[in-house]
Amino acid sequence: MIPSFNGIENAYLGLEYETKKDGFTVDWEKMRKRVVETTKALKIDLDLDLPASALSPAQRTMLEIVRAMMTDSKLLILDEPTASLTDKESELLFKLINLLKEKNTAVLYVTHRMDEIFRLTDRITVLKNGEKVATVLTKAMNKEKIISLMTDNWASEKLETVKKFGKTLLTVEHIQSKDKTVQNVSFKVRAGEILGVFGLGGSGRTESLECIYGLRALADGKIILEDQDFFNVTPEKSLKNGLVLICEDRRGMALIPRLNVKQNIVLSTIDAHARYGIVDEQKELTHTNEKIAELSIKTEGPNQRVSQLSGGNQQKVVFAKALMSAPRVLLCDEPTQAVDVKTRAEIHRLLRKMADQGSGIVFVSSDLQEVLSISDNIVVMVNGKTSDLLENDGITSEQVLSICYQN
Amino acid sequence: MKKQNSFSKIFQSYGTIIAGLCVILVFSALRPDAFFTVRNLINISRQISLQVIIAIGATLIMCVGEFDLSIGAIASLGGVIAAKMAVAGVPLPFCFIAPLVICFVIGWINGWIVTKFSVLSFITTLGMSTILAGFTFWLTGGSTVFQNIPKTFTYLGSKSILSIPYLSIIMLIFTVIFWFVMRHTAFGRKLYAIGGNEIAARVSGINVKKNKKLAFALCGAMSALTGILMASRLGSAHPTGGDSFFLPSYAAVYLGSTVFKEGTPNIWGTFVGAAILGILANGLTILQVPTYMQDIVTGLIIILAVIAQKLGQGDSK
Repeated sequence: MIPSFNGIENAYLGLEYETKKDGFTVDWEKMRKRVVETTKALKIDLDLDLPASALSPAQRTMLEIVRAMMTDSKLLILDEPTASLTDKESELLFKLINLLKEKNTAVLYVTHRMDEIFRLTDRITVLKNGEKVATVLTKAMNKEKIISLMTDNWASEKLETVKKFGKTLLTVEHIQSKDKTVQNVSFKVRAGEILGVFGLGGSGRTESLECIYGLRALADGKIILEDQDFFNVTPEKSLKNGLVLICEDRRGMALIPRLNVKQNIVLSTIDAHARYGIVDEQKELTHTNEKIAELSIKTEGPNQRVSQLSGGNQQKVVFAKALMSAPRVLLCDEPTQAVDVKTRAEIHRLLRKMADQGSGIVFVSSDLQEVLSISDNIVVMVNGKTSDLLENDGITSEQVLSICYQN
Repeated sequence: MKKQNSFSKIFQSYGTIIAGLCVILVFSALRPDAFFTVRNLINISRQISLQVIIAIGATLIMCVGEFDLSIGAIASLGGVIAAKMAVAGVPLPFCFIAPLVICFVIGWINGWIVTKFSVLSFITTLGMSTILAGFTFWLTGGSTVFQNIPKTFTYLGSKSILSIPYLSIIMLIFTVIFWFVMRHTAFGRKLYAIGGNEIAARVSGINVKKNKKLAFALCGAMSALTGILMASRLGSAHPTGGDSFFLPSYAAVYLGSTVFKEGTPNIWGTFVGAAILGILANGLTILQVPTYMQDIVTGLIIILAVIAQKLGQGDSK
């Protein structure tokens, strides 16, 4: 959709505009007629003169379907079409999908919402880690059966040692973000604890961490960091108080590709490395070399551009930067994403080591097996809300997933 | 193969400097009597001094990934304020300091608007430039301020020490200061970080807004300094006198970003960029090349330098 275009122009995106006899001037009347015909056939009620930016998310989805049906498509692929719709708007969409079905259009509907699957579909294909698990008839299935197809039912093992956690470092109570992506999130992290946070895509995992760290505006709730009120802070203040966020988006939010390894590692502690504003380059180099050795970062040296490192080593640089500010609480968002197996294990070990030294770790991942294998305790996020705390003792992946899909 | 790589690396890092040296060689060969003489080199250093000083400010702005179109208008205003104050009999130090402070604040306002409302700096400073041009016109009634300017006001811009012009010395001092600031201070590092990836800089606890505002403010002050020194050199201040510095400043920064640090604006690069432009103008004038031809040659060189650098980057990837 092009926000400034009206319904007719958007419906005609990708199609040749109709022209008058001269073959040159646009025939708006003819175009309008054809779009109106399509909307009528689909029983969609839309104001075609409004620009797309003035439409509600649901209306925009409708318009997209109109555009798809302008050419009598045989197959319509919908990818999580209800993600930004209210229940009422979704109803309209479902009606439309049924209508399309009657008109002999095939619909491929991608979603993680169980109720929609059972309501709309005839057959279900389950994918896992980029592989097809099975294609089954919807009639023959129920929710539990689907979930068991989605996971190997991997149960967590009880962690070897009996864990004794220290005092509570970070308390998050009922926080809500201004943009409503986070609606009711609560959890506690204690010294020595790795708290796993699991949720499906769009459940508000990343957004919650951003709220706590001060990158996303909060509307309501309470955050306490070691007895200190920590509501709506800035990243600057978070860092100063020992709270660090490792972002999911490594290239976009964590690293400065143009700068070298050293400059990236000391990025958030540059003031601590300076006296009267002048950088102490000896100190900077010593600390960088320490971190390169400690995390075994593979690099030509501190002066190599960070963009030349491999994904795993770039992530180590991000960790090195985080460690420089000696965090008490570390918020990690998908820290092992796009990282090789060896680095992944190293990161897991590092997190455990930090916890053992008294830090609190919040570990967010969309990889359930990973969450179950390294966390002491787990909270599950669904639609911007957190579930109860689950003690990671013999929890099965099915249990966790059924919380995700309970609605 | 390896040798070629290191050759292309050298060319990529120092290509612009090599090109600059070639220009000097050509001029020296053509007019050894007039071009490559101590007197002319000193002359060139004075000719480029104002351009270098104002381009240093533009370098800071480019470092944080922004753009300041108001540097020319700020320079004009700075010169006019200084001259007007001198005419009014205000003690000389105040004539120089007051416009610096005022333009520092103007730059800060530029930065405040850009960061507070997240509007494009391009359009913000375009608006500011227009406002300032109008204001300066109002202040002067559109005419040059030149009557009753005290002689002492012109010393800084016209006198020399040991036959080296004060202007050249001031230029060198500021180049070294800002090189140090950008290279060795936490502030400079932060500016480069912001320019490299603003979001990552914010996540890393850098106060992006504050540092950007400071960059704009310093740019304003440097522009004002240029205007003041120009007024001092000419013994007069014209309400649009600073305008001609604006485009060559960015040419110098872009040329300079092809020097030393592949692709990033940097102070010595800007110095070299402004020097190359100055040497070209000087040499072509000595060769009695008509002005329109000078413009054509200068424009071509700017475009070629930037293309050469892009090609070099493509090679290394």
